[in-house]
Amino acid sequence: MRIIFIIILCILPILLTGCWDQHLLVNRTLVNGISFDVTEEGKINGSVRALSIQSKGGGQFDIYDELVSAERPTPVGLALDIDSRIAGEIDTSKAFVVIIGEELAKKGIHPFIEIFYRNMNSYMSSKIIISKGKATEILSVEKEKSPIAFVILQLLNGTEADMVIPKETTFTVWKKMLDPGEDMILPYVERVESNKVEVAGVALVNDDQYTGITLSREKSSILMLLMDQLSKKNRMALTMGSEGKGRAISFATRDLRRNLEVLVDKDNKITCKIDVKMNVEVGSYTQDLSKRLNIKKLNKDLSDELTKQAKEITDILLQANCDALGIGRRISSFHPELWKKINWNEEYQNVQFEPNVKVNIIKTGNVF
Amino acid sequence: MMEKNISITKYQLFFFMIQSQTGLGLLSLPNVVQKTAKGDGWISTLIAGVAVQIMLVIYWQLLKRFPNLIYTEITQKILGRFLGKFLNLFIYLNFIFVGGLATILFIKIINLWLLPITPGWIISILILTACIYLTISDLRMIARFFVLATSLILLLLFTSFLSWFTPKEIQYILPIGSSGFKNILLGTNNSLLAMLGFEGLLFLFPFIIDNKKGVLKTISMANIFIATFYTFFVFLTLISFSSDQLAQMREPILNLLRGITYIMVDRVDLIFLSIWIVPMSTSIIAYLFLASKSMNVDKKNYPKVVLLNGFIIFSITLIPHNDAIITLFNKYVTYLSYAVVFIIPTLLLILSFLFKKHESSESA
Repeated sequence: MRIIFIIILCILPILLTGCWDQHLLVNRTLVNGISFDVTEEGKINGSVRALSIQSKGGGQFDIYDELVSAERPTPVGLALDIDSRIAGEIDTSKAFVVIIGEELAKKGIHPFIEIFYRNMNSYMSSKIIISKGKATEILSVEKEKSPIAFVILQLLNGTEADMVIPKETTFTVWKKMLDPGEDMILPYVERVESNKVEVAGVALVNDDQYTGITLSREKSSILMLLMDQLSKKNRMALTMGSEGKGRAISFATRDLRRNLEVLVDKDNKITCKIDVKMNVEVGSYTQDLSKRLNIKKLNKDLSDELTKQAKEITDILLQANCDALGIGRRISSFHPELWKKINWNEEYQNVQFEPNVKVNIIKTGNVF
Repeated sequence: MMEKNISITKYQLFFFMIQSQTGLGLLSLPNVVQKTAKGDGWISTLIAGVAVQIMLVIYWQLLKRFPNLIYTEITQKILGRFLGKFLNLFIYLNFIFVGGLATILFIKIINLWLLPITPGWIISILILTACIYLTISDLRMIARFFVLATSLILLLLFTSFLSWFTPKEIQYILPIGSSGFKNILLGTNNSLLAMLGFEGLLFLFPFIIDNKKGVLKTISMANIFIATFYTFFVFLTLISFSSDQLAQMREPILNLLRGITYIMVDRVDLIFLSIWIVPMSTSIIAYLFLASKSMNVDKKNYPKVVLLNGFIIFSITLIPHNDAIITLFNKYVTYLSYAVVFIIPTLLLILSFLFKKHESSESA
């Protein structure tokens, strides 16, 4: 009896030695950036920037960065093509950035991101960005220096902290693409000086289609304020009055309170009141030294200027048909009857925005 | 009936109920509920909790009349030998099929998320071996293990708090009640399935120490815990995802965790799922135990019966894992469950009132 037991014990471990789901790091090619473009013939071009790790033996590894691309009529199967051109198994579990070309983004980005939701191994916190011109051009920056995706990632993290672009990842974009009551804005990057990547502002997206309209960096910071997104280390620069003789001021927002009210009157006319109250700290201000700084007046000037610009921005939002402030969601929650009646995509054009920004300077830094 | 290593305390009963109810159902619950109830899914789970509470009171009334008998003995007592045995066959089949279905879904989730290439039968063997091993050790051991395993449920609660840092939109559930009463009730119907497992009480009652009083309080507490727990998670997913998005997800709870990311730790969903394997197995253990008990065998033959049932469940898991077959299987098992869990006990209670039968009366 005892011997049989021991024999069984010896046989059992043999069954345990097999493992189907093992992934060795040396066999993998880690993709850290992906780009999608549409070619002139209307095909989809997908490129990846991948790190391939090769063992030199003795625990030493060689790391290469390579750019591989493939073309297909649809995004489906691009991964297979790319896989066959890369040594080792393709691994998108750490693809930090997904760049989508301007032209392609106008046709809709959902089919390209859907791949990431369905696949269990993919990374859900990648940054989704729209590029000016071809996305491949962004991805192919500094081919020798690797890996570019991390540079772009840091760039995005930095601008997020400066409150220029929203914190959007694959995960958060999913919700906004499918939600009819809210649209998203995505970071808009361009290649400058042939070898640098710059965040040019934000791209306005309607459902999942890029509208072709962008906001500059200065304007997108104000949009962030209207969207009630405050980051810790934000800074803003503003020119008041007409160009040339206007005064420039830069400030950091310390406290932000936004009140968004959606009103529907008897004729189903939708008015959106946005009240923003912010406490700011002056960073730099070229003042007339002969006069004492009149904070009251400065408060008023700043408020007026920001209100004016906010109005411009909401007009652009209407023009782009991009419901970045989630007005539709409010209507569907608080006026469900109206929501069922209207086609929001058309009705959004008729929304009346009334932004009002109130600035209160709480600190002026080291000098008065 | 009061054997030494088979009796459990009320405290252990509480955890037994919780463990047999939570597990697989939870992961996909928000998707199932929102199919009809949309943003009001959380009301559906609350109503389901009330429905379960009503059933528990019915069980309690029935069991009070037969404090030393289990479900399959009560059927024979009330309906006579022949009809009783016939019903018992259905009760047994229900537990075997539910156990089999639970294992199939378990394997499916593991295959989908953790081990895509590993063959299903290997996973099945690994799970069932552990389950059979524990079930053979009989009730007290199982109950002790369930108490331990409950700490993992608290871990899920903790992990869910991490997800509060991903964007939430309370407006997804507004306006409250917009789906209409009928749709909310349909959602209740779906969430009841995730709450199944409380029927275990029908088999545990005779083994509870001092089962004359306080049991109703214990099971009510367990039910309140489960209902709140489920409602919390449905609510959390409802405000995290829009309803179009939820409709696309198989396991919304795992997707909820998928969005959490830190510099050092990533893919919280996979870490969580590896731990959640234990609460998922406890449901299988509970059903294996109930199936074996429902065969009314004596203590000596119990281990053999558990082995046999384990093997039957294993055979069930060998049927092809394609979505259509599983959906069909799920549908029929659901009907069977409704009969065994809701209809038969209610009928038994009514009959026992009509014929004034209780344990001390002569056997028919």
